[in-house]
Amino acid sequence: MVRWLRQEATPGARRSGAAALCIAMAVVVGTAGCDALSLPHPFAKTPQVSPIKVGLLHSQTGTMATSETPLRDAEQLALLEIEAKGGIDGHPVEAVIEDGRSRADVFPRRAHQLFEKDGVVALFGGWTSDSRKAMEPVIAAAKGLLFYPVQYEGNECSPDIVYTGPTPNQQILPALDWFLSPAGGSKRRIYLLGSDYVYPRTANFIARKYLAAKGVEVVGENYVPLGHKDFRPVVETLHAASPDLVLSTINGDSNIDFYKELARQGVRAAEIPVVATSVGENELRALLPSTVEGHYAAASYFQSIDTPANHEFVDKFQQEFGLDRVTDDPMEAAYVQVKLWEIGVRKAGTAAPAAVLAALAAGTEFDGPGGRTKVDPKTHHLFKTFRLGRIGSDRQFDVVFESPEWIAPDPYPAFAFPGWRCDWTQGAPVAGPAVDMGASARAVAH
Amino acid sequence: MDWIFDIPTWEFAALTSSAFILFSWFGAIFLRPILRPLLGGRAGLNDIVGYILSLFGVFYGLLLGLLAVAAYQGYGTTQGIVAKEASALAALKEDIAAYPEPERQNLIWILRDHTRYLVKEAWPQQRRGLIPRGGDVRMTAFQENLLRFQPSTTGEELMHAETLRQFNVYYEARRMRLQAIGTSIPSTMWYVVLFGAVINLVLIWLFDMSLLSHLFLGGILAAFVGAMVFLIADMDNPFRGAVSISAAPFEPILAELMED
Repeated sequence: MVRWLRQEATPGARRSGAAALCIAMAVVVGTAGCDALSLPHPFAKTPQVSPIKVGLLHSQTGTMATSETPLRDAEQLALLEIEAKGGIDGHPVEAVIEDGRSRADVFPRRAHQLFEKDGVVALFGGWTSDSRKAMEPVIAAAKGLLFYPVQYEGNECSPDIVYTGPTPNQQILPALDWFLSPAGGSKRRIYLLGSDYVYPRTANFIARKYLAAKGVEVVGENYVPLGHKDFRPVVETLHAASPDLVLSTINGDSNIDFYKELARQGVRAAEIPVVATSVGENELRALLPSTVEGHYAAASYFQSIDTPANHEFVDKFQQEFGLDRVTDDPMEAAYVQVKLWEIGVRKAGTAAPAAVLAALAAGTEFDGPGGRTKVDPKTHHLFKTFRLGRIGSDRQFDVVFESPEWIAPDPYPAFAFPGWRCDWTQGAPVAGPAVDMGASARAVAH
Repeated sequence: MDWIFDIPTWEFAALTSSAFILFSWFGAIFLRPILRPLLGGRAGLNDIVGYILSLFGVFYGLLLGLLAVAAYQGYGTTQGIVAKEASALAALKEDIAAYPEPERQNLIWILRDHTRYLVKEAWPQQRRGLIPRGGDVRMTAFQENLLRFQPSTTGEELMHAETLRQFNVYYEARRMRLQAIGTSIPSTMWYVVLFGAVINLVLIWLFDMSLLSHLFLGGILAAFVGAMVFLIADMDNPFRGAVSISAAPFEPILAELMED
C-alpha cells in the first residue's frame, strides 16, 4: 500500500485522477466545473485535433438542383476518401454544406457566411457563371480559394479561383471542329441556343467568331431565361431556321423541357442533332431515352469511359449514393478538384489558401477518372481531354471522338479576345482592348 | 459537460456514483469534525437528524422519482416520434414508387439522398447535441420535384394527392424529431437535484457514528443518489449517450432505397 502510494503517477493514473476530480467538481459545484475552469475532458472520445473546414456550396434547390446536387455528392465522396485515410496530416476534414438555391444573389451571402462565420479555408462550389462571378469578390475579400468545377465561357482570370471545368477551347471549339469535319457530317448551318446569362452569351460569342473564321453560317441565335419551361415557340423558331446543327448552352432543368419539346415537334437527332455543353448523365435521368437518343454532348468526361480509374470511381460513387446513380463531367471535375486541393494541402504542409494555390500552381498533376489532368501554372485552369458523346438508348454516352492529347486551357482565345492573356507566372493578366460581345449577338437575335 | 455522453454507459454510471461517494467520504473525514461541534454534542441529536433526514428524503425521493419518470416518458415519446417518422418515410417511398418514369427515379434519388443523410450525417450530429440542418434543403428539393409532376389521369391525380398528404405527415414527424433534440430537463432543476444531494450527504455527516460506519453507510446512500442522477441524466437527452434512440428504424429503408 505504502509502496503503491509512493509510486510516481503514470499518465494513465493522472488521467483517471483528473477525471475523478473533474466529475466531483461538476457534481459539487452543480455546474460544468471542467468547462468553467477550462480543464481538459480526460474521457472525451471526440478528436482533440482541430478539423480543416471546407465549404461545399451548390444549388440543392431550385432550377439548378438537378445538375448541382450531384456535385455535392462527388465532393463528399472525395472527402470520405480523405477521411478514410485519416484526414490530412492527422487533421480531419470537415465539410460545411450550404445551398445556393439557384440564385446568384444567394451564393455570395452563403460564401461570406462560410468564410467569415464557419471558418472554411477553401470553397468548392457554383455552377452558373453568374454564381461564380457573384462569389468572386467575397472570395477575394476573405483571401480564400474557390474551386469551380463546371465548363464555362473563359474571359476571366481570377487569382482566387481554380477552374477545374473546361474552357471553350477545350469543349465547344473541338466539338464544332468535329461537326464541321466529314466525320461529323460537314455541318454548315449552325443554330446557337442558350440560357440567358453570361456563360451562354459569351460562349456563343466565341462560337460565332470561330464559325465566321471558318466560313460557316450561324442561322439563328436565341436565349431563354434560366428555368424556362415553355419551349414551343423556341423550337418552332429553331425549326424554321433549318439548321443542320444546334449548339445548346441551355443550363439546368430547362433542358428537360427543351428535349421534350424537340421530340414533341418531331425534330429528330438524325436531321437536326443538338450538341449540348451543359447536359450530362444527370440531366438525362429526367428524360425518356426516346426523347434524347442520338443527340450529342461535348465534355471531358462521360460515365461510359472504359478505364480502371473510371470504373473504380463509378463503383465507389454508386456504393455510397445508390446503385443506379450516374456520374457526369462536372461531377468528375468536382471530385478531382477536392483531390487536387488535398494534394495542394499535403504539398504545402498547410491549408492556408495562398500556400495551397502556390503548391497547385507548380504544375500539380492528378490521374482522375477522366484521365490525367494538370493545373496550368499560367491560368490556374486544368489541362483536359476533350470527348464528344452521342446519347444512347440507355441514356449513357457513346464516345464518338476523343482528343489524342489533353488540351491546354485558354480563357482568352485570341480570335475572340485579341490582346488578352492570362498568365499568373508573369505576375498579372494582360488586358486587351474592350470587346463588345453584345453587338455580335444582337445581329441575329430572334 | 457534453463529453459525458461520449463515454460508455458503465463508465458514466461508475463515475457519477464514485463522485458522490468521494464527496461523501471527503465530508465524513474532513468536514464532519467541524460541523458536529457547531451543533453541540448533546444527546438525542441523532434522533433529530434522523427525523429531518426522513422528512427531507421523502421530498427528495419524490423529486428524483418524478424526474426519472419524466425523463423516461420524454425518451418514450421521442422514440414514438422517430418510429412515426420512419413509418411515414417508408410509406412515402411506397407512394412514389407508383409514379411514372422519369419522375419516379428522380423522386427516389432525392428520398434516398435524404435517408442516407439521416442515417449517416444527421444522426451523428444529433448524438453531439446539434440540430441537423441538411434535411431542410432535401425536403425542399423533394417538394419541388413533387409539385412539378402534372397528373394526366384520374388515377395519377389520386396517387399524387395521396403522396402530397403522406409528404405532409412525414414533414410533421420530422419537425417533431428536430424539436425533441433540444428538449431536456432545465438546468435549474439539475441545480435543485444536486443541491438536494448535497443536503442529504451533509445530514448524514451530522450523525454521531464511527468513521467506518460513516464511510460505509454514507457511501451506500451516496452511491444510490449518484445512480439515480446518472439514470435521469442518461435518459434526459434521448439522442445522446449510450442509452439513446438510434437510426435503426431508417436503416432498412435506406437499404431498400439503395437497391431501388
